[in-house]
Amino acid sequence: MTSAPIRIGIMSFAHHHGEAYIQNLRNIPGVELLGVADDDRARGQRLANQNGIHCFSSYEDLLAAGPDGVVICTENSRHRLMVEMAASHKINVLCEKPLATTLEDAQAIVAICEKSGVLLMTAFPMRFSAPLLEVKQRLDNGDFGQVYAFNATNQGEVPTKHRTWFVDPELAGGGAIMDHTVHLVDIMRWYLGSEAAEVYAQTNRIFHAGEVQVETGGLEMITFQNGVFATIDASWSRPPYWPTWGGLTFEMVTEHGAVLVDGFKQNLTIYNHANQRPVWQYWGSDQNQAMISDFIEAIREEREPRVTGIDGLRAVEVTLAAYRSAASGQPVKI
Amino acid sequence: MRVSIAGVGFMGTTHAEGWATTGARIVGFSAETVEEASPLAAHYGVKVFPDFEAMLSEVDVVDICTPTHLHHPLALLAARAGKDIVCEKPLARTTQEAREMVSACQQAGVHLLAAHVVRFFPEYALAHSAVVDGQIGKVGLIRLHRGSYRPKKPAGNWFLDEDKSGGLLMDLMIHDYDYARWIAGEVESVFAQKVTTAHPQAPIDYGLAILRHTSGALSHIAGAWAYPPPTFRTSLEIFGDAGLIQFDSAETAPILNLIQKKTADSPDVGLPSSPVSESPYTTQIKEFYAALCEERPARITAGDGLAAVQIAEAAILSAQTDQQITLEHLAEVNQ
Repeated sequence: MTSAPIRIGIMSFAHHHGEAYIQNLRNIPGVELLGVADDDRARGQRLANQNGIHCFSSYEDLLAAGPDGVVICTENSRHRLMVEMAASHKINVLCEKPLATTLEDAQAIVAICEKSGVLLMTAFPMRFSAPLLEVKQRLDNGDFGQVYAFNATNQGEVPTKHRTWFVDPELAGGGAIMDHTVHLVDIMRWYLGSEAAEVYAQTNRIFHAGEVQVETGGLEMITFQNGVFATIDASWSRPPYWPTWGGLTFEMVTEHGAVLVDGFKQNLTIYNHANQRPVWQYWGSDQNQAMISDFIEAIREEREPRVTGIDGLRAVEVTLAAYRSAASGQPVKI
Repeated sequence: MRVSIAGVGFMGTTHAEGWATTGARIVGFSAETVEEASPLAAHYGVKVFPDFEAMLSEVDVVDICTPTHLHHPLALLAARAGKDIVCEKPLARTTQEAREMVSACQQAGVHLLAAHVVRFFPEYALAHSAVVDGQIGKVGLIRLHRGSYRPKKPAGNWFLDEDKSGGLLMDLMIHDYDYARWIAGEVESVFAQKVTTAHPQAPIDYGLAILRHTSGALSHIAGAWAYPPPTFRTSLEIFGDAGLIQFDSAETAPILNLIQKKTADSPDVGLPSSPVSESPYTTQIKEFYAALCEERPARITAGDGLAAVQIAEAAILSAQTDQQITLEHLAEVNQ
């Protein structure tokens, strides 16, 4: 245990979550936010100024300043490079999801953190969602009996309004399937304590067909080792005028019936002259805050974070198998 | 027009109410036993036929509302006798039987109307119109959900006998295979799973199916015999490249009943129940009546009924084999 401030740096603003994490970090007593480094210097400087934090001239400079941990928010395919830099400086890592875009990279990320003795956390905030935690507790308590199936959605609008790299096959590693599979896979692994054994997937590109080269529609059916089967709708099927960005829902079917869970249902509906359409404003608890707090506490208490690099790796394995299934037209074993 | 109804369960009773609103004359009913059909026949003041063949000599139209596995033999008898046919969904228990029914009716020159009532529910019909009108652009993905409790018949529950009904993947989910196909066109592949494949003794059943349409659109179909009675809940989401349509029966229910009651009663099968001025079952029968009178197409063809059975059969096979099933095009679908 240490009572010294926990010093945190942010590596890149390529992912827009980086900005939200600044506020989350500020909300935690005893955290010292060292600043950001970004290979897009103009973006780094601009967002650092907007958020009132220091901008380092390079990742090396940030790491040389001796943070206890870094939050990695680069493009998906560049996570490995950043993790390797941080781990070689013995700095703990919270990495944005998906952990990587290839199995080789995901394995290398886990291996180097293990070898360097640094903590590796994957940014799966839904593990900290209050409604999902409530259901997990009741599940563990035996209230629902045996689980048989999930019918799940993680739909969103095409994320190009945030950053254009989300639809770049090289930088993002794919489209909607790469973006939206991992959260629900992680939730199901967490709930079931079982690993995915097989995945079937179908994809298409009808939404935003003329604008992007990656899949925008995707349905997956995963079978777990314990026999539970689950569909995930990973589509970028929400229009930009939807009342919010998208959502995450699942129906969990058990021997006693079913539980319907909506991770983002706790909203006010606001109608006003400015928007000219209904807008949902979320009043539920901030799972990002709880996730960032767990990362800080894990560093402070020198313990594993509640979501690990292995969790990130397993979700990547399922995602990559989904692409192989979509290409072959048959389910793929994992 | 003289019509008689085979089968006097919920569907036979409901179809009779529909026929009673038309210009057709209900001349009688048949069932497994005369005793079974007597109350309904008495209600309409008509006769009970001792069997289906006896019925054929006195009618122009037969409405087949028997358990699914009996549709095929009865329809073939009716076709050979030159009678027009209304047949409750699923058109038949197997694709082969449905093909034979479609061919037999075509050869005999009689109509075969597949009673897929979901196409007649106002919310589903309106969503279809909105898509056809181009209100949401090209359809990319459809999500359909239909959930209730296990059909609970006191004795001889044919719904739960998969040889007779096809089980959940056919009897319940065929509604939404047909609707998905109505919205997004022909289906080329199916992948499906259901709870009772791995857990035959499970107290509930639940199925999930992923369809790929030849248009490239995908459909996600969920069916539940899992919820506490008297739950009956359906929802649809149709996502296009220029908008989306949503419906959820729980969110559009115009009446929320919070009246206390001592005992909760529920019908044998869960039923949708948003109050509308005309029962969709009656809307369906009226349209079928008009189609038969005026020799014009209804919104559903015999080929549509066949195609829905083909999808359901593929879903059952997929769930058994853990393989994607590719559908061959059947010439009879377009007859």
